[in-house]
Amino acid sequence: MKKSYTRPRRGIDRRTVLKGAAAAAAVTTGITGFPAYLKAANTPIKIGVPTILSGRVAILGESSVAAIKNEIRKINEAGGIEGRTLEAVVRDSRGKPDEAARMTRDLVNNEGCDIILDAEASGASFAVNEVVRDMKQFCIHTNSETSSLTADPKNQVDWVFRSCRQGIHDAVGGGLVAAKVVKEKGLKKWATISPDYAYGRANTEEFMEYVKLFAPETEVITETWPKLFQPDYTENVTALLNAQPEVVYSCLWGGDLVAFFDQASLYGLFDQFTAFAVNLGDYPVLTAIKSRPAGVYSGSRYHKDIPDTAENEAWYESFMANSNVLPTNWSWQNAAAVNFVVEALKKTGGDTDSMKLAEATSGLTIDSPFGVDGTLTIREDDHTLVNYMVGYSKTIVDEPYVVDFDQTAWSEIYKHEAEWKKRNGYM
Amino acid sequence: MTLLIEFRRDLLIALAGLVLLVAIGLGIDHAWPRDFLTSIFAAGLLAMSLNMLIGYTGLVSFGHAAFFAMGGYIFGLLLQSPAFTGALGAGSVPVALGVAVVGTGLYAVVIGAICVRLTEIYFAFLTLAFQMFLYSVILSWVDLTGGDQGLMGGIPRPIFLGIDLADQYHRYVFCAVLFVACVMIMRIMTESPFGYTLRMIRDNATRAAFLGVNVFRVKLICFVVSSSIAAVGGVILALFTSGAYPEWAFWAQSGEAIFMIMLGGLNVFLGPILGAVALRILNDVVQMYTSHTEIVIGVVIMFVVLGLRRGILDFVKDWWVEKQQARLAAENRNGQE
Repeated sequence: MKKSYTRPRRGIDRRTVLKGAAAAAAVTTGITGFPAYLKAANTPIKIGVPTILSGRVAILGESSVAAIKNEIRKINEAGGIEGRTLEAVVRDSRGKPDEAARMTRDLVNNEGCDIILDAEASGASFAVNEVVRDMKQFCIHTNSETSSLTADPKNQVDWVFRSCRQGIHDAVGGGLVAAKVVKEKGLKKWATISPDYAYGRANTEEFMEYVKLFAPETEVITETWPKLFQPDYTENVTALLNAQPEVVYSCLWGGDLVAFFDQASLYGLFDQFTAFAVNLGDYPVLTAIKSRPAGVYSGSRYHKDIPDTAENEAWYESFMANSNVLPTNWSWQNAAAVNFVVEALKKTGGDTDSMKLAEATSGLTIDSPFGVDGTLTIREDDHTLVNYMVGYSKTIVDEPYVVDFDQTAWSEIYKHEAEWKKRNGYM
Repeated sequence: MTLLIEFRRDLLIALAGLVLLVAIGLGIDHAWPRDFLTSIFAAGLLAMSLNMLIGYTGLVSFGHAAFFAMGGYIFGLLLQSPAFTGALGAGSVPVALGVAVVGTGLYAVVIGAICVRLTEIYFAFLTLAFQMFLYSVILSWVDLTGGDQGLMGGIPRPIFLGIDLADQYHRYVFCAVLFVACVMIMRIMTESPFGYTLRMIRDNATRAAFLGVNVFRVKLICFVVSSSIAAVGGVILALFTSGAYPEWAFWAQSGEAIFMIMLGGLNVFLGPILGAVALRILNDVVQMYTSHTEIVIGVVIMFVVLGLRRGILDFVKDWWVEKQQARLAAENRNGQE
């Protein structure tokens, strides 16, 4: 039973089959992904949220998502926008810029998101900025405080906005309060300890620039730059102790700030120096620090008593009732972003066209529990948020953790911001 | 000319592949397949070029992503410079692409000349060291590279030969052509006598040397070519994300490329591409359901390593060869009866 058998042309067959299989897989996935893209009048308005949900920053990302979901819940319970509900589609980019860029594309192209709320930290927010510029996609940056994101004309995009703090605003506020404190106490020698990356360096430079402006005899005697997510701060604490400054500034944040405070307390650092920490006043940070030092000056983040209004208290209660994480600075910024989106959608009659939304958002003022006089505005000329709470409080060991809020007037901030923009060639 | 005849079958397949890719990209009225495939082009070139070192030459490089990042950064920085685009006008994009590839190649000559003298773990760690060196330079040279925020402000792309890379269709086709061209270059290299010299070096470098092969030179050429192709991958990703980021030069990026090779298979030419596709789909699908992507991907890789003990295509190839041999053996037995 011998059968004559010629060997098949293996090479061609194998490769053809593989290419065919790869293509078929791509086509199939493309087609199955397709229905998500179809829009109909009664489908929800989808809001895509690239953010960080893993690593040490996860707590901030989670508090952002909780705030977005809570605001969306309120809107949907009140009947939605023109009969359409809102829906958040959240993706974890792990804070990687290229991942955030890819996910943002995916959220728009595959998930059919109409709006992007970019809840990334600085690094990835610049990547998202370029993607939404490229795609002509309406977007609000909700977390990146890096000033140049909206201040530098080369980063400005007609259909992109920012609904969060800006480094330079906090620097002016911090500089004013710090100058007042050091003049009262007669302190001159400063040291800084901030994370070694773009935000840390830029923020520290801006803060010290304004301290020097308002208290000219100021002198920075040492700077120490721990790495981001560094586990052990002994060398930095030692550097501070050796330099013996009178005042310390830090823009460490999140888990890094908690770790630093716990380790520095062992050396009694905060008994020896006056300290300013712009990112200290957030609930998860304050509650996580084991030995909370009293008398540290903390920048305004989110607090239920700042501003001390019934609306803010009500927002806090609603957030706490609907979330399993504590509210943070990122929470109010994302809640504000949803509020802006909703107001803009009301103005466009529910139309999610990016250009129409952009036109509606530019220069928009909304009622908000987070504003100085109950309102927040997205400024028309640079698309960034103004009129939010800027200032410094002092920590105490027990609730409400921070007291004596020293609020910076926006007229002061505007004046110095304009000069800063001129100095940097931004206007 | 002889090259064309010798590789006519591969060229035809490449052409058919390109037609298929273009048909998918332009035929489907949805951006997702284009985005997906463009990111595969970038990751695929990184993994395939790395496999020229790992699979064909036996040089396990842990620092290959450095060249990938370098390509992206050179391309982005040149096009962001008004002086450059002003002087070259419509020629900016092709020149920037050329400079990115050649520039990365030159950098690879220097790095390669130092590294390829070593083998095994020493080679791996030296390449890793050079990659982390580049990573540190990118991070600390903030004025030029934007530090950890990457290239900001977008990458301008002046129209050339009627190709507008700001248009997603044009960009997709451009990237597809680059990708297929690079794959073809690698195919020709690995299937030519040069490619068999590489395999010989992998299997026994001493014997190759005794046969008169200049092992150092051959390894260096392979290192430089594969680095230049990785640079093309970086250019594609820079076009796709409209920026370049220091993470591309981080060791994790090289690690991901090694994952792709392990997953897809290192002894089959297209193995790394399959790995790239599998890893990307895995990543995207898992992302939809959980944020614990790493755990799931880790489990899958563990399954592949422990279960198949080789890449997917390696497994398929071995299975196919075994089946053939069993059949031949059976035929031989039948013939003897």
